[in-house]
Amino acid sequence: MRRGWRGKVAVGTVLLILGFLAVAQLRSQATDQALAQLSVQDLTELVANLTARNNQLRDDLRSLEMQRTTLQGAVQRGDSSAASIRNDLQRLLGWSGALGVSGAGVRISVAGSLPSDGINSLVNELWNAGAEAVSIDGIRLVPGLVVVGTGDSLEIGGSPLVPPLEILAIGQPETLAGSLTRAGGPIAQLAATYPQVTLAVSGQDLVQIKATDRSLAPVLGKPRL
Amino acid sequence: MNGLFARTRAIATWQVTLGVALLVLGFLIAAQVRSEGPRVRYTSQERTPLVATALDLQAQQEALKTQLLAIRAEIQGYEQQGQGGAAITGQLNDQLQAARLSSGLVALQGPGLVIQLTDSSAAVPIDGNARDYLVSGDDVLAVIRALWLSGAEGIAVNGERLVVSSAIIDIGGSVLVNSAYLAPPYQVSAIGPAGMFDKLVREPGFVDFVKARAQTFGIGVSYATPASVDLPAYAGSVTLRYGKSAPTPEPSLAAP
Repeated sequence: MRRGWRGKVAVGTVLLILGFLAVAQLRSQATDQALAQLSVQDLTELVANLTARNNQLRDDLRSLEMQRTTLQGAVQRGDSSAASIRNDLQRLLGWSGALGVSGAGVRISVAGSLPSDGINSLVNELWNAGAEAVSIDGIRLVPGLVVVGTGDSLEIGGSPLVPPLEILAIGQPETLAGSLTRAGGPIAQLAATYPQVTLAVSGQDLVQIKATDRSLAPVLGKPRL
Repeated sequence: MNGLFARTRAIATWQVTLGVALLVLGFLIAAQVRSEGPRVRYTSQERTPLVATALDLQAQQEALKTQLLAIRAEIQGYEQQGQGGAAITGQLNDQLQAARLSSGLVALQGPGLVIQLTDSSAAVPIDGNARDYLVSGDDVLAVIRALWLSGAEGIAVNGERLVVSSAIIDIGGSVLVNSAYLAPPYQVSAIGPAGMFDKLVREPGFVDFVKARAQTFGIGVSYATPASVDLPAYAGSVTLRYGKSAPTPEPSLAAP
């Protein structure tokens, strides 16, 4: 009886360690092995990306903490939180594409027949460089919109895009332009692949990007409680 | 004879289980030790601290995202408690909640599918490039774009929700989504209409991807259609630092 009880404890302990080790092994191997295969240059780029994102998250946390303190005070005093909600709403609608946005940024002109993959890669690079809003020929980019087709029959969301194209992006002009025009970057790669296409990037003090005309509200997806 | 049976029965219970468990434990420890070997050999002096830094930064990022989601929830709670001008506040709160939902800041669930991309198991030819046999950022992007074009209304990759500002980049064959490092396999989860998979497999971009990557290099493409697909909330920046949004119309209590 006593030996059976001891046995159960022993089995339980070993199984616990076993489960822990198995999970740790699987998790660490997936990430560590993939990272260990990167070159020093790639790892440096990865570290720079992670650092930039973490700094951005810390900035956001600081401003959210300030907002929380202000709201806490308002609630304790019995004041309205309308001003805070209105600010939040305006910021979120602008960020998501439901409201127009203006500010410093870049203008990219695309002359010639550039396939959709090339345009999509420019846009992806702009987002990666910290763009806050992007439009192509006046159409605000939001989730679900993808450029398709080839140079002569490009379209986005059912609207035709006729070259020359104008891509506008809001964000730090130097960072956005630098990311696109860096050695081996997307502009250099596209220029090598499509020599007939002319791409020009210029910093702008004021770029205006209008709101999307698409509905952004999910229809099939419901909030997960 | 009876004694022998009794002994066999005793062995067949906890002792056998313990024995098997210890065997697996030993195997796992050996696997862990062996897996360290090639990694240490492969890792140069410069690379070791960089891998450690990347892992540390990634752990920090996870913690920051958790904090961000928690503080957003707290703020939402305070906003809903605001006392003065309750009717206007209530209306603004409804609008804000709708904006959060539309922007990807709320976790969603609904019908859809999950596409999984796995690295090729084919042997790399002597004159081949090993990276061609790994899932790349472009592969993930090709699937995402095809899903959007097939009617997806929300997408996440390995738990990273795609939002308006999401970028998918490739660093040395590793994929970053929203600047978060993701390890393979890549699961692209999408909420969308019933016929989404049929549309997807006819989408020229997806067909090209399958031909160029799955059929040529053996990149694994599989799919599942669970009863419900879960998409997490986006845990990242929604701040406009350089842009300023146009003012929102003042809410009024009049019926629209």
